[in-house]
Amino acid sequence: MSLLDVRAISKRFGALKAVDGVSFQVGPGQICGFIGPNGAGKTTTMRICSTLELPDEGDVLVDGQSVLSEPRDARRRIGFMPDSYGAYTSTTIFEYLDFFARAYGLRGERRREVLARVIEFTGLGELTDKEIASLSKGMKQRLCLAKTLLHDPPVMILDEPAAGLDPRARVELRELVKALAQMGKAILISSHILTELAEMCSSVVVIERGQLKGGGVLADVVRSVQPTTTLFLRALEGPAACERTLLELRGVSKVRLERDGVCFEFEGDASQQAALFAQLASSGLRPLELAQQGQNLEDLFLSLTEGKLQ
Amino acid sequence: MNALAAARSFDDRLNPILVKEVRQALRGRYFRTLFWLTLGVATLIGLSIVAEAGSRGANMGVGRTFFMLMNGCLFAAVLGFTPFSAFLATSAEWDENTHDLLVLSNLRPRQIVYGKLLSALVQALLYYATFGPFLVFAFLMNGVDLLSIGVLLLTSFVACATLNLLGIAMASLSPAKAPRVLLMALFGVALMMSWGFSISFATFVTYQPHELRDPMALPAIVAFVVGCLLVGGLFASLAIARLSHDEENRSSGLRALSVALVLVATVFGLWMELEFGHSEFAWGLQLAVLVPLVMLWLHFLCEPETLGRHVARHVSPRPALALLSAPFLPGGGRGAVLMALHMALGLSAVLAVRLVPGSDKTELNRALIGLALVYAYVWIYLAIPAGIASWFSPKLSRRVLTRLVIIGLVPVAVLLPPLLGLVLGIPSWLDFMHPLNPMYPLKGVISGSSFSRVEKLWLLTAALAAIVLNTPRIARGLQEVLAASRARRSRASSV
Ligand SMILES: Nc1ncnc2c1ncn2[C@@H]1O[C@H](COP(=O)(O)OP(=O)(O)OP(=O)(O)O)[C@@H](O)[C@H]1O
Ligand SMILES: [Mg+2]
Repeated sequence: MSLLDVRAISKRFGALKAVDGVSFQVGPGQICGFIGPNGAGKTTTMRICSTLELPDEGDVLVDGQSVLSEPRDARRRIGFMPDSYGAYTSTTIFEYLDFFARAYGLRGERRREVLARVIEFTGLGELTDKEIASLSKGMKQRLCLAKTLLHDPPVMILDEPAAGLDPRARVELRELVKALAQMGKAILISSHILTELAEMCSSVVVIERGQLKGGGVLADVVRSVQPTTTLFLRALEGPAACERTLLELRGVSKVRLERDGVCFEFEGDASQQAALFAQLASSGLRPLELAQQGQNLEDLFLSLTEGKLQ
Repeated sequence: MNALAAARSFDDRLNPILVKEVRQALRGRYFRTLFWLTLGVATLIGLSIVAEAGSRGANMGVGRTFFMLMNGCLFAAVLGFTPFSAFLATSAEWDENTHDLLVLSNLRPRQIVYGKLLSALVQALLYYATFGPFLVFAFLMNGVDLLSIGVLLLTSFVACATLNLLGIAMASLSPAKAPRVLLMALFGVALMMSWGFSISFATFVTYQPHELRDPMALPAIVAFVVGCLLVGGLFASLAIARLSHDEENRSSGLRALSVALVLVATVFGLWMELEFGHSEFAWGLQLAVLVPLVMLWLHFLCEPETLGRHVARHVSPRPALALLSAPFLPGGGRGAVLMALHMALGLSAVLAVRLVPGSDKTELNRALIGLALVYAYVWIYLAIPAGIASWFSPKLSRRVLTRLVIIGLVPVAVLLPPLLGLVLGIPSWLDFMHPLNPMYPLKGVISGSSFSRVEKLWLLTAALAAIVLNTPRIARGLQEVLAASRARRSRASSV
């Protein structure tokens, strides 16, 4: 069962097709990375999922509620954190959160409990009396996340939540998102910082110029576009010797010098890979380091998209 | 303890927007600056008047001057600053990018609009409370009687509410900054004018207090208050429609209010006949409400024909109820049905007054014909172009264009024949006495002369053409409602 079910949505702005027949699903506990070049249609898709924009075609079901026929019910189940959001002037953090808690219909003791819990979860405890205008970017992002969590939505949509955050704030944000997924929420998160996404996502959706370019469980997607594994080898004999040896072996391709060793592609399953390592050891080469490069979301991104902007 | 619990539960029930905006206003610069400024000016004026009275002895004239000056300050605050801040507060939701947050918060558009209204009224009440002592002082100086004070407070408060709603509606019209700046300027002018009116009204009430004891004073005040509330309701519905989701119902509130307009005019007409024997109000009022009604009809007739998906899902499962509700559901064809309903109501209002024993039958007969004529013209001018436009795409830009064309059509239709008359040498056309000019037959009715058979024929043909042009979409509109009702029944039985 999926909590977020995007069904063939399209959206035009004048002559421009910002989103063109995009479908994907996100299940409970899943963190789905949403990637694509600038202007690919990520924000537009996310706004359609949050009822802020109407699709020209298609529909989105949020926990079973259509954003078209039951927008209010869908909205109650969704937490959307926009990429840029407004802050009310002359309002403190507490007043801001209190306002939205009231808007979501939280009453009395329950509202106080929820506010306390959300403020603690996002670590805003000491700042509640500060005016929003005076907050740093990181604090604002936390505040926005806190606001998104007030009504405990099963589906969360985060549009570039990490943009403009310092490394520590990014790590903290990542931990928060992981904790939310562990609570069983479905999370769709867009970001241009792909290493960041690779750390936490279980699946990805790639779009470019409004069209779906690929998607699914991260490892599957990586394998489907890249049948080869990228390996790195460093030996006492130096990179040139490594290269010579490797070129004689089966399944090896695209050998290239990198740092003080070589990078190469290897095509084959696990046992063939083990055999390769044995051959290397018996070739007279004295390896210092032999490592598999991680599933590289950046490579995936580059091979799936063409780099044409719109 | 109990009191605390009660206070807490009251606090819980408050409109969230009200809580937020009052907090913002009290912390923000705009309200605080203007509040102290107004109070300061009023105190200065008060002190100088008291000093003068002290040196020359208090009399009625000084009291009245004092009262008028206080009114000037109070009205500037409640009819100027407060509505303007309501405009700014609504405008800020677009500018500060918080409009999306409001939508996401799932507050109903109604709650948003009324929350903004309430917070503006709270600010207005703060002004009233501050000026209370000054007004009591004016009374003690023998400047003014209690009835006048009461009337001025009541009417200014009602006007304040209406102006607030106008400000909220105008600010909600456009998310783009440039048109909103223009709207803001227009609104500023409107506020200045209403301030001027309020001061002349206050002068009238202060210097001619006996006029308030005239038998026609009560109907006039009631008419003002009810009129303000209705117009305010229209502005509120407009703002609510602007803030609603596209697939939700953006029309029914306005439609219900438009019927209320006709009904209130009817009740008032009957009251005037029964109480004062003034028969002319029966149709005069129906003509007066036509001004807002024509604008609303123009809006309804050019709506897209299909029901929004959300609206369709909530049509009554009972076919009879669904059909009855059809004129109140969005859609151009259903708008035409509502328009016909309005006209029937307006004519029955005059008929009802005619049934009152002792009413002026000849006057009312003429009124019936006159009203029917006006309705016929409105129907022709609105329904023919809107009916034709409904064959084309329901895109927003096209619908706006249709509305503009219709608005432009009337002056062209009235001014073109005189030009033709000049060319063709038809002197009566030159004098605007041609059948395209709605005023021409109307003048005939009022002066008692009837118009020619050709002219009658043209009117009948045009009205019939408008009916023919609109019949297909009316039929489709009603069928759609029935289909939605059927779909809801089958959903209910499948669950
Ligand atoms: N309201 C709008 N009016 C007109 N065009 C729009 C509107 N919103 C988005 N677009 C266009 O639609 C396309 C998709 O925009 P979108 O913001 O969805 O991209 P994105 O993937 O979020 O890009 P980024 O990575 O830069 O945030 C862009 O070409 C953009 O210019
Ligand atoms: Mg974006």
